[in-house]
Amino acid sequence: MTMAQPLDVSRYRSERHIPWAPLSAEEIEARRLVQINAETVTHTAASDFPGHYGPEQDDSWVVERFRQGLKVDFHHNKPHDAAFSLVGIDASIANAFRRILIAEIPTLAIEDVFFLDNTSVIQDEVLAHRLGLIPLTGGREGLDWLHWFHRAPSKDAFTMQTASDGDETTPVSTHNDYNTIVMTLDIECRWATVEKDGWDGKKKAAEGDVAPEEKYIKSNVYASDLVFHPQGKQSEYFSGENAIRPVNPEILIAKLRPGHRIHLRCHCIKGVGSDHAKFSPVATASYRLLPQITITQPILGADAKKFARCFPRGVIGYEPDAATGEQKAVVKNPMKDTVSRECLRHDEFKGKVKLGRVRDHFIFSVESTGQFESDELFLDAVRLLRAKAERFKRHLTELEEGR
Amino acid sequence: MSREQYTPPTLQDRNAGPSSSSQQSQTQQTTSQPYTGGGFNLTAASLDALGDDSRPIHYLCGDCDARVTLKKGDAIRCKECGYRVLYKERTNRMIQFQAR
Ligand SMILES: [Zn+2]
Repeated sequence: MTMAQPLDVSRYRSERHIPWAPLSAEEIEARRLVQINAETVTHTAASDFPGHYGPEQDDSWVVERFRQGLKVDFHHNKPHDAAFSLVGIDASIANAFRRILIAEIPTLAIEDVFFLDNTSVIQDEVLAHRLGLIPLTGGREGLDWLHWFHRAPSKDAFTMQTASDGDETTPVSTHNDYNTIVMTLDIECRWATVEKDGWDGKKKAAEGDVAPEEKYIKSNVYASDLVFHPQGKQSEYFSGENAIRPVNPEILIAKLRPGHRIHLRCHCIKGVGSDHAKFSPVATASYRLLPQITITQPILGADAKKFARCFPRGVIGYEPDAATGEQKAVVKNPMKDTVSRECLRHDEFKGKVKLGRVRDHFIFSVESTGQFESDELFLDAVRLLRAKAERFKRHLTELEEGR
Repeated sequence: MSREQYTPPTLQDRNAGPSSSSQQSQTQQTTSQPYTGGGFNLTAASLDALGDDSRPIHYLCGDCDARVTLKKGDAIRCKECGYRVLYKERTNRMIQFQAR
């Protein structure tokens, strides 16, 4: 990527006594940078808003210009892990997407656990909590069809009470096939016997075999032991490969010994991450700004080798220098940089390198927990923000019309 | 409700208990509204079918681990080995937890 040397646009302009004039292409590129110095980070705030550079520079927001500046570029796109660059938007919007991904896109999770029996060593409340955190998946169509379950506001949750005060119209739901998924877990551990399993667990134990799987049957409870029971209309949406199931069937839920039994029934509902992290559709959704390394004076020979070692592998490459014939350090892939600023600690690179980050180049990383695919989740976040903006606009119109 | 006011549910209460929810579900089913039967109805009747709530009570022998069934008035003694320490099993009543 070629980009002008970072400069302080406003100071540069006043020093040269440039009257109000539109910014040059070079200056427009330069103002995109956050400058990273040895001890400080400067120019963190965006300045591409009307009036900042005088009346001649047109920074008004125009759809067509935004459309031309916006760029989406996928680096990898796997169902459980997507990384892409989102270029040409403001940090507030990028951050809104990130926060919506984490806290506002609904998913299905276990909410209530009814224990009929639990003689294992793991306590009921701990086991219930563990079950809640298991990511579930199922047919997309069915998950979209599933309704919200509105629970009665808790008597001790002040925030929930105040939230419901203004909105008395939301009725408290009763569990039905539109809003609740039922799953059960019924498992009992026992000794392996010749009649049932073909080998004698007690004999193995006497012989000194200590592996629990050899001695006992069902000594490990896995997420795959959860059984989905479709209710009413649910069988239309969640049958066959669309059945509700844990994303990762090999999650270890509990360990049992002969005679231990867990028998429980779970109610799963749709919820959002702002209510509880178990409802968050992403393991993490984050972004970082694209690092920018500008070599202002050639770094040659042994210095170039040392310079390359200041960065992660692959960031700096070599090229033969035209003037001296020595190897010259060149920036190969700034995307891989961690912006450690190591190169700013060495005297030999003083004044030869400038570090920065591109303020409107967001490298997103979305890791889905598996209920939805990572790239779809981002689209859902965009849709949700759009819906919120439309709702806000509608309320503003109503306010204006005095309704 | 304060701790003092709370009265634990008795067997009779529980049989009379499933008033609101099950009646509601029946009316809903007849008007082809959301299905609330089966898995959602954790009422006394359905729970008794799931968790065995019948008397007598089962205990575990402290010595030989045998399952001992005692009725009211029986001697507290293991029927297999005669040991006099018996452990009560966990309740077979349903206990509800929030997965939070
Ligand atoms: Zn005994």
